[in-house]
Amino acid sequence: MDFRPLNELERRQLVNALRGNAESDRAILMDRRDTSFAGSAEEVTDEEVISAIKSVPCHY
Amino acid sequence: MKPTSDTSCPLLAWARQFWNALHAALIRPPRVIVPVPEPVVSAPVPLERLQRVVLTDGVGHTLFEEYAAHRKGERGNEETGWLLLGLRERNQAVVLATLPAGSDRDAGVAHVQFNSVAQALGSRMVRQRDRRLTILGVVHTHPGTLRHPSSGDYEGDSLWVPQLRGGEGVFGIGTADPRNPADPLFGQQPKPHVQCLGPLSFHWYALGKGDARYHNLPVEMTLGPDLARPLHDIWPLIEMHADRLDRIYRQQTGVSTDVVEGGKALRLTVPLAERGTLVQLLIRPKEVRYFVVRDGDVYAVDGPADRIDQGIYLLLAELAAG
Repeated sequence: MDFRPLNELERRQLVNALRGNAESDRAILMDRRDTSFAGSAEEVTDEEVISAIKSVPCHY
Repeated sequence: MKPTSDTSCPLLAWARQFWNALHAALIRPPRVIVPVPEPVVSAPVPLERLQRVVLTDGVGHTLFEEYAAHRKGERGNEETGWLLLGLRERNQAVVLATLPAGSDRDAGVAHVQFNSVAQALGSRMVRQRDRRLTILGVVHTHPGTLRHPSSGDYEGDSLWVPQLRGGEGVFGIGTADPRNPADPLFGQQPKPHVQCLGPLSFHWYALGKGDARYHNLPVEMTLGPDLARPLHDIWPLIEMHADRLDRIYRQQTGVSTDVVEGGKALRLTVPLAERGTLVQLLIRPKEVRYFVVRDGDVYAVDGPADRIDQGIYLLLAELAAG
Protein backbone atom coordinates (compact mmCIF):
# COMPACT_ATOMS: atom_id res chain seq x y z
CA MET A 1 0.00 0.00 0.00
CA ASP A 2 1.36 3.41 -0.99
CA PHE A 3 0.80 5.95 1.77
CA ARG A 4 2.40 8.91 0.02
CA PRO A 5 0.46 12.20 0.12
CA LEU A 6 -1.68 13.02 -2.88
CA ASN A 7 -0.14 15.34 -5.42
CA GLU A 8 -1.97 18.47 -6.47
CA LEU A 9 -3.66 16.84 -9.44
CA GLU A 10 -4.86 13.82 -7.47
CA ARG A 11 -6.02 16.03 -4.63
CA ARG A 12 -8.08 18.18 -7.00
CA GLN A 13 -9.68 15.12 -8.57
CA LEU A 14 -10.55 13.69 -5.15
CA VAL A 15 -12.02 17.00 -4.00
CA ASN A 16 -14.14 17.19 -7.16
CA ALA A 17 -15.36 13.63 -6.59
CA LEU A 18 -16.19 14.33 -2.95
CA ARG A 19 -18.04 17.48 -3.93
CA GLY A 20 -20.00 15.59 -6.59
CA ASN A 21 -20.85 12.94 -4.02
CA ALA A 22 -22.01 15.45 -1.41
CA GLU A 23 -23.93 17.72 -3.74
CA SER A 24 -25.26 15.39 -6.42
CA ASP A 25 -25.03 11.86 -5.03
CA ARG A 26 -22.41 10.93 -7.60
CA ALA A 27 -20.72 7.63 -6.83
CA ILE A 28 -17.04 7.64 -5.93
CA LEU A 29 -15.22 4.75 -7.55
CA MET A 30 -12.80 2.55 -5.63
CA ASP A 31 -10.02 0.36 -6.97
CA ARG A 32 -11.09 -3.16 -6.01
CA ARG A 33 -7.46 -4.31 -5.64
CA ASP A 34 -6.29 -1.85 -3.02
CA THR A 35 -9.36 0.30 -2.20
CA SER A 36 -7.62 3.42 -3.51
CA PHE A 37 -9.58 6.27 -5.09
CA ALA A 38 -10.32 5.46 -8.72
CA GLY A 39 -12.33 8.43 -9.85
CA SER A 40 -15.99 9.32 -9.89
CA ALA A 41 -18.93 8.06 -11.91
CA GLU A 42 -19.14 11.26 -13.91
CA GLU A 43 -15.59 11.15 -15.20
CA VAL A 44 -14.84 10.47 -18.83
CA THR A 45 -11.83 8.33 -19.66
CA ASP A 46 -8.90 9.63 -21.68
CA GLU A 47 -9.43 6.76 -24.10
CA GLU A 48 -13.01 7.84 -24.87
CA VAL A 49 -12.01 11.48 -25.40
CA ILE A 50 -8.95 10.77 -27.50
CA SER A 51 -10.73 8.20 -29.61
CA ALA A 52 -13.34 10.84 -30.46
CA ILE A 53 -10.66 13.43 -31.23
CA LYS A 54 -8.66 11.12 -33.48
CA SER A 55 -11.78 10.26 -35.48
CA VAL A 56 -13.08 13.78 -36.12
CA PRO A 57 -13.92 13.71 -39.82
CA CYS A 58 -12.77 16.20 -42.40
CA HIS A 59 -15.19 19.12 -42.69
CA TYR A 60 -16.15 20.82 -45.92
CA MET B 1 -31.13 -39.20 48.63
CA LYS B 2 -29.98 -35.85 49.91
CA PRO B 3 -28.78 -33.39 47.22
CA THR B 4 -25.12 -32.36 47.45
CA SER B 5 -24.15 -28.65 47.17
CA ASP B 6 -21.02 -27.49 45.25
CA THR B 7 -19.62 -25.89 48.35
CA SER B 8 -19.83 -29.11 50.22
CA CYS B 9 -18.04 -30.99 47.44
CA PRO B 10 -14.91 -29.25 45.95
CA LEU B 11 -14.56 -31.89 43.23
CA LEU B 12 -18.11 -31.25 41.98
CA ALA B 13 -17.51 -27.47 42.01
CA TRP B 14 -14.33 -27.88 39.98
CA ALA B 15 -16.13 -30.16 37.51
CA ARG B 16 -18.93 -27.59 37.07
CA GLN B 17 -16.44 -24.74 36.42
CA PHE B 18 -14.54 -26.90 33.93
CA TRP B 19 -17.75 -27.76 32.11
CA ASN B 20 -18.79 -24.10 31.93
CA ALA B 21 -15.41 -23.07 30.53
CA LEU B 22 -15.47 -25.89 27.99
CA HIS B 23 -19.00 -24.98 26.97
CA ALA B 24 -18.09 -21.32 26.52
CA ALA B 25 -15.05 -22.22 24.41
CA LEU B 26 -16.70 -24.77 22.17
CA ILE B 27 -20.24 -23.63 21.86
CA ARG B 28 -20.26 -19.96 20.94
CA PRO B 29 -23.40 -17.90 21.13
CA PRO B 30 -25.20 -17.47 17.82
CA ARG B 31 -23.82 -14.59 15.74
CA VAL B 32 -26.06 -11.56 15.66
CA ILE B 33 -26.54 -10.48 12.05
CA VAL B 34 -26.96 -6.74 11.70
CA PRO B 35 -28.77 -5.91 8.49
CA VAL B 36 -26.58 -3.79 6.22
CA PRO B 37 -28.44 -1.16 4.24
CA GLU B 38 -28.25 -1.44 0.48
CA PRO B 39 -25.53 0.85 -0.90
CA VAL B 40 -26.87 3.96 -2.52
CA VAL B 41 -25.58 4.07 -6.07
CA SER B 42 -26.25 7.16 -8.10
CA ALA B 43 -27.63 6.19 -11.44
CA PRO B 44 -26.09 8.07 -14.34
CA VAL B 45 -28.23 10.96 -15.51
CA PRO B 46 -30.17 9.72 -18.55
CA LEU B 47 -29.24 11.84 -21.52
CA GLU B 48 -31.99 13.28 -23.65
CA ARG B 49 -31.81 15.02 -27.00
CA LEU B 50 -29.97 18.34 -26.93
CA GLN B 51 -32.26 21.31 -26.52
CA ARG B 52 -29.57 23.98 -26.33
CA VAL B 53 -25.86 24.64 -26.33
CA VAL B 54 -24.50 26.93 -23.64
CA LEU B 55 -21.26 28.79 -24.34
CA THR B 56 -19.22 30.50 -21.66
CA ASP B 57 -18.31 34.06 -22.47
CA GLY B 58 -14.70 32.92 -22.63
CA VAL B 59 -15.54 30.45 -25.37
CA GLY B 60 -17.58 33.09 -27.21
CA HIS B 61 -14.62 35.48 -27.13
CA THR B 62 -12.29 32.77 -28.43
CA LEU B 63 -14.49 31.89 -31.38
CA PHE B 64 -15.16 35.43 -32.57
CA GLU B 65 -11.67 36.80 -31.83
CA GLU B 66 -9.74 33.91 -33.34
CA TYR B 67 -12.01 33.74 -36.36
CA ALA B 68 -11.44 37.46 -36.98
CA ALA B 69 -7.67 37.00 -36.54
CA HIS B 70 -7.69 33.99 -38.85
CA ARG B 71 -9.37 35.96 -41.64
CA LYS B 72 -6.63 38.59 -41.41
CA GLY B 73 -3.81 36.01 -41.50
CA GLU B 74 -1.87 34.50 -44.40
CA ARG B 75 -4.22 31.51 -44.53
CA GLY B 76 -7.34 33.60 -44.06
CA ASN B 77 -9.01 32.23 -47.18
CA GLU B 78 -8.88 28.68 -45.83
CA GLU B 79 -11.41 27.01 -43.60
CA THR B 80 -10.51 26.69 -39.95
CA GLY B 81 -12.19 25.41 -36.81
CA TRP B 82 -12.17 24.35 -33.18
CA LEU B 83 -12.97 21.23 -31.23
CA LEU B 84 -15.43 21.81 -28.37
CA LEU B 85 -14.97 20.32 -24.90
CA GLY B 86 -17.36 20.65 -22.02
CA LEU B 87 -20.08 18.96 -20.04
CA ARG B 88 -22.87 16.93 -21.58
CA GLU B 89 -25.81 17.42 -19.26
CA ARG B 90 -29.31 15.96 -19.44
CA ASN B 91 -30.58 18.06 -22.34
CA GLN B 92 -27.87 20.62 -22.91
CA ALA B 93 -24.19 20.87 -23.72
CA VAL B 94 -22.06 23.38 -21.81
CA VAL B 95 -18.96 24.34 -23.80
CA LEU B 96 -16.02 25.12 -21.52
CA ALA B 97 -12.98 24.79 -23.77
CA THR B 98 -11.91 25.11 -27.39
CA LEU B 99 -9.00 23.32 -29.04
CA PRO B 100 -7.80 25.04 -32.22
CA ALA B 101 -7.36 23.32 -35.58
CA GLY B 102 -3.63 24.00 -35.38
CA SER B 103 -1.11 25.33 -37.85
CA ASP B 104 -0.41 21.75 -38.99
CA ARG B 105 -4.05 21.32 -40.05
CA ASP B 106 -4.82 20.13 -43.53
CA ALA B 107 -7.02 22.89 -44.92
CA GLY B 108 -8.02 24.66 -48.07
CA VAL B 109 -10.80 26.89 -49.30
CA ALA B 110 -13.27 23.99 -49.14
CA HIS B 111 -12.12 21.71 -46.33
CA VAL B 112 -10.38 21.49 -42.97
CA GLN B 113 -8.96 18.48 -41.18
CA PHE B 114 -7.75 19.30 -37.66
CA ASN B 115 -4.33 18.36 -36.29
CA SER B 116 -5.72 15.69 -33.99
CA VAL B 117 -2.37 14.75 -32.44
CA ALA B 118 -2.02 18.20 -30.89
CA GLN B 119 -5.70 18.27 -29.95
CA ALA B 120 -5.36 14.93 -28.15
CA LEU B 121 -2.50 16.33 -26.10
CA GLY B 122 -4.45 19.56 -25.53
CA SER B 123 -7.38 17.54 -24.22
CA ARG B 124 -5.12 15.81 -21.70
CA MET B 125 -3.86 19.19 -20.50
CA VAL B 126 -7.32 20.70 -20.17
CA ARG B 127 -8.78 17.61 -18.50
CA GLN B 128 -6.13 17.72 -15.78
CA ARG B 129 -8.46 20.23 -14.20
CA ASP B 130 -11.73 18.38 -14.56
CA ARG B 131 -12.03 14.87 -15.91
CA ARG B 132 -15.75 15.24 -16.56
CA LEU B 133 -14.93 17.25 -19.69
CA THR B 134 -15.83 15.42 -22.85
CA ILE B 135 -15.97 16.07 -26.58
CA LEU B 136 -19.15 17.91 -27.48
CA GLY B 137 -18.69 18.75 -31.13
CA VAL B 138 -16.93 20.81 -33.75
CA VAL B 139 -17.05 24.34 -35.08
CA HIS B 140 -15.71 25.05 -38.55
CA THR B 141 -15.89 27.95 -40.92
CA HIS B 142 -17.06 28.34 -44.47
CA PRO B 143 -15.32 30.91 -46.66
CA GLY B 144 -18.56 31.77 -48.46
CA THR B 145 -21.94 32.44 -46.95
CA LEU B 146 -23.13 28.83 -46.61
CA ARG B 147 -24.44 28.91 -43.04
CA HIS B 148 -25.41 25.27 -42.85
CA PRO B 149 -23.23 22.13 -42.75
CA SER B 150 -22.65 20.71 -46.20
CA SER B 151 -23.62 17.26 -47.43
CA GLY B 152 -19.96 16.30 -47.11
CA ASP B 153 -20.06 17.37 -43.46
CA TYR B 154 -23.10 15.18 -42.92
CA GLU B 155 -21.40 12.12 -44.36
CA GLY B 156 -18.59 12.33 -41.81
CA ASP B 157 -20.50 13.69 -38.83
CA SER B 158 -23.28 11.10 -39.04
CA LEU B 159 -20.65 8.38 -38.64
CA TRP B 160 -18.85 10.27 -35.85
CA VAL B 161 -21.68 11.26 -33.50
CA PRO B 162 -22.55 7.75 -32.22
CA GLN B 163 -19.35 7.77 -30.15
CA LEU B 164 -20.22 11.04 -28.42
CA ARG B 165 -22.06 11.14 -25.10
CA GLY B 166 -25.77 10.87 -25.80
CA GLY B 167 -25.01 9.87 -29.39
CA GLU B 168 -25.35 13.50 -30.43
CA GLY B 169 -22.96 16.29 -31.36
CA VAL B 170 -22.91 20.08 -31.49
CA PHE B 171 -21.86 21.69 -34.75
CA GLY B 172 -21.16 25.35 -35.37
CA ILE B 173 -20.67 26.98 -38.75
CA GLY B 174 -18.77 30.25 -38.88
CA THR B 175 -19.26 32.60 -41.81
CA ALA B 176 -18.31 36.15 -42.66
CA ASP B 177 -20.57 38.46 -44.58
CA PRO B 178 -19.65 42.15 -44.90
CA ARG B 179 -23.33 42.90 -45.59
CA ASN B 180 -24.26 41.56 -42.17
CA PRO B 181 -26.09 44.41 -40.39
CA ALA B 182 -24.98 43.32 -36.89
CA ASP B 183 -23.27 45.97 -34.80
CA PRO B 184 -19.51 45.35 -34.48
CA LEU B 185 -19.48 46.60 -30.86
CA PHE B 186 -21.61 43.89 -29.31
CA GLY B 187 -23.00 40.50 -30.18
CA GLN B 188 -26.55 39.97 -31.35
CA GLN B 189 -28.75 36.95 -31.69
CA PRO B 190 -31.23 37.44 -34.55
CA LYS B 191 -32.44 33.84 -34.21
CA PRO B 192 -32.17 31.40 -31.29
CA HIS B 193 -29.44 29.40 -33.05
CA VAL B 194 -27.52 32.34 -34.56
CA GLN B 195 -24.88 34.64 -33.06
CA CYS B 196 -23.58 37.67 -34.91
CA LEU B 197 -20.83 40.19 -34.23
CA GLY B 198 -20.17 42.63 -37.05
CA PRO B 199 -19.61 40.64 -40.24
CA LEU B 200 -19.02 37.36 -38.40
CA SER B 201 -21.68 34.89 -37.43
CA PHE B 202 -21.94 31.41 -35.99
CA HIS B 203 -24.91 29.16 -36.70
CA TRP B 204 -25.43 26.24 -34.33
CA TYR B 205 -26.81 22.79 -35.11
CA ALA B 206 -27.19 19.38 -33.50
CA LEU B 207 -26.91 16.02 -35.19
CA GLY B 208 -27.85 12.77 -33.43
CA LYS B 209 -27.25 9.15 -34.27
CA GLY B 210 -29.59 8.15 -37.10
CA ASP B 211 -30.73 11.70 -37.85
CA ALA B 212 -31.46 12.40 -41.49
CA ARG B 213 -30.42 16.05 -41.12
CA TYR B 214 -28.99 18.63 -38.73
CA HIS B 215 -31.38 20.48 -36.40
CA ASN B 216 -31.15 24.14 -35.40
CA LEU B 217 -29.76 24.29 -31.87
CA PRO B 218 -30.55 27.35 -29.70
CA VAL B 219 -27.41 28.90 -28.24
CA GLU B 220 -27.14 30.63 -24.87
CA MET B 221 -24.29 32.43 -23.13
CA THR B 222 -23.16 32.23 -19.52
CA LEU B 223 -20.22 33.53 -17.54
CA GLY B 224 -17.19 31.28 -17.51
CA PRO B 225 -13.76 30.64 -18.97
CA ASP B 226 -12.38 28.99 -22.03
CA LEU B 227 -10.28 26.52 -20.08
CA ALA B 228 -8.03 25.91 -23.08
CA ARG B 229 -7.38 29.55 -23.98
CA PRO B 230 -3.98 29.71 -22.20
CA LEU B 231 -2.86 26.89 -24.50
CA HIS B 232 -3.78 28.73 -27.69
CA ASP B 233 -0.85 31.15 -27.48
CA ILE B 234 1.63 28.27 -27.34
CA TRP B 235 -0.22 25.93 -29.67
CA PRO B 236 2.72 25.82 -32.14
CA LEU B 237 4.89 24.58 -29.24
CA ILE B 238 2.28 21.96 -28.39
CA GLU B 239 2.15 20.84 -32.01
CA MET B 240 5.96 20.65 -32.13
CA HIS B 241 6.18 18.19 -29.22
CA ALA B 242 2.70 16.63 -29.29
CA ASP B 243 3.69 13.08 -30.20
CA ARG B 244 6.43 12.78 -27.59
CA LEU B 245 4.53 14.56 -24.84
CA ASP B 246 1.50 12.39 -25.46
CA ARG B 247 3.70 9.32 -25.07
CA ILE B 248 4.88 10.58 -21.66
CA TYR B 249 1.26 11.13 -20.59
CA ARG B 250 0.37 7.58 -21.65
CA GLN B 251 3.33 5.89 -20.01
CA GLN B 252 3.71 7.80 -16.72
CA THR B 253 1.18 8.49 -14.01
CA GLY B 254 0.47 11.88 -12.47
CA VAL B 255 1.99 13.84 -15.36
CA SER B 256 0.87 17.46 -15.48
CA THR B 257 1.57 20.51 -17.60
CA ASP B 258 1.40 24.22 -16.86
CA VAL B 259 1.70 27.26 -19.07
CA VAL B 260 4.44 29.45 -17.61
CA GLU B 261 6.60 32.50 -18.39
CA GLY B 262 3.64 34.64 -19.34
CA GLY B 263 2.21 32.13 -21.78
CA LYS B 264 5.47 31.53 -23.67
CA ALA B 265 6.60 28.19 -22.27
CA LEU B 266 5.30 24.86 -21.03
CA ARG B 267 6.38 23.20 -17.81
CA LEU B 268 6.00 19.44 -17.76
CA THR B 269 6.08 17.73 -14.36
CA VAL B 270 6.65 14.00 -13.92
CA PRO B 271 6.38 12.91 -10.27
CA LEU B 272 8.61 10.04 -9.18
CA ALA B 273 7.78 7.30 -6.71
CA GLU B 274 10.32 8.67 -4.23
CA ARG B 275 8.55 11.21 -2.05
CA GLY B 276 9.38 14.86 -2.80
CA THR B 277 11.19 13.98 -6.03
CA LEU B 278 10.09 14.93 -9.50
CA VAL B 279 11.42 15.64 -12.96
CA GLN B 280 10.47 18.91 -14.61
CA LEU B 281 10.99 20.13 -18.15
CA LEU B 282 10.79 23.75 -19.16
CA ILE B 283 9.84 23.70 -22.83
CA ARG B 284 10.47 26.91 -24.73
CA PRO B 285 10.18 27.43 -28.48
CA LYS B 286 13.94 27.07 -29.03
CA GLU B 287 15.17 25.14 -26.03
CA VAL B 288 14.17 22.49 -23.51
CA ARG B 289 15.65 22.52 -20.01
CA TYR B 290 15.61 19.53 -17.67
CA PHE B 291 15.45 19.70 -13.89
CA VAL B 292 15.34 17.24 -11.02
CA VAL B 293 13.58 18.51 -7.90
CA ARG B 294 14.43 16.78 -4.61
CA ASP B 295 12.83 18.03 -1.39
CA GLY B 296 12.59 21.53 -2.83
CA ASP B 297 16.16 21.61 -4.17
CA VAL B 298 16.35 22.08 -7.93
CA TYR B 299 19.15 20.54 -10.01
CA ALA B 300 19.58 21.40 -13.69
CA VAL B 301 20.62 18.52 -15.93
CA ASP B 302 21.42 18.18 -19.62
CA GLY B 303 18.98 16.62 -22.07
CA PRO B 304 18.03 16.70 -25.74
CA ALA B 305 15.89 19.58 -26.98
CA ASP B 306 13.93 17.65 -29.57
CA ARG B 307 13.42 14.07 -28.32
CA ILE B 308 12.04 14.97 -24.93
CA ASP B 309 10.58 11.55 -24.20
CA GLN B 310 14.03 9.98 -24.66
CA GLY B 311 15.51 12.74 -22.51
CA ILE B 312 13.13 11.94 -19.68
CA TYR B 313 13.78 8.20 -19.82
CA LEU B 314 17.55 8.68 -19.94
CA LEU B 315 17.25 10.91 -16.89
CA LEU B 316 15.08 8.34 -15.08
CA ALA B 317 17.65 5.64 -15.90
CA GLU B 318 20.43 7.77 -14.40
CA LEU B 319 18.36 8.41 -11.28
CA ALA B 320 17.64 4.69 -10.95
CA ALA B 321 21.32 3.89 -11.25
CA GLY B 322 21.95 5.99 -8.23
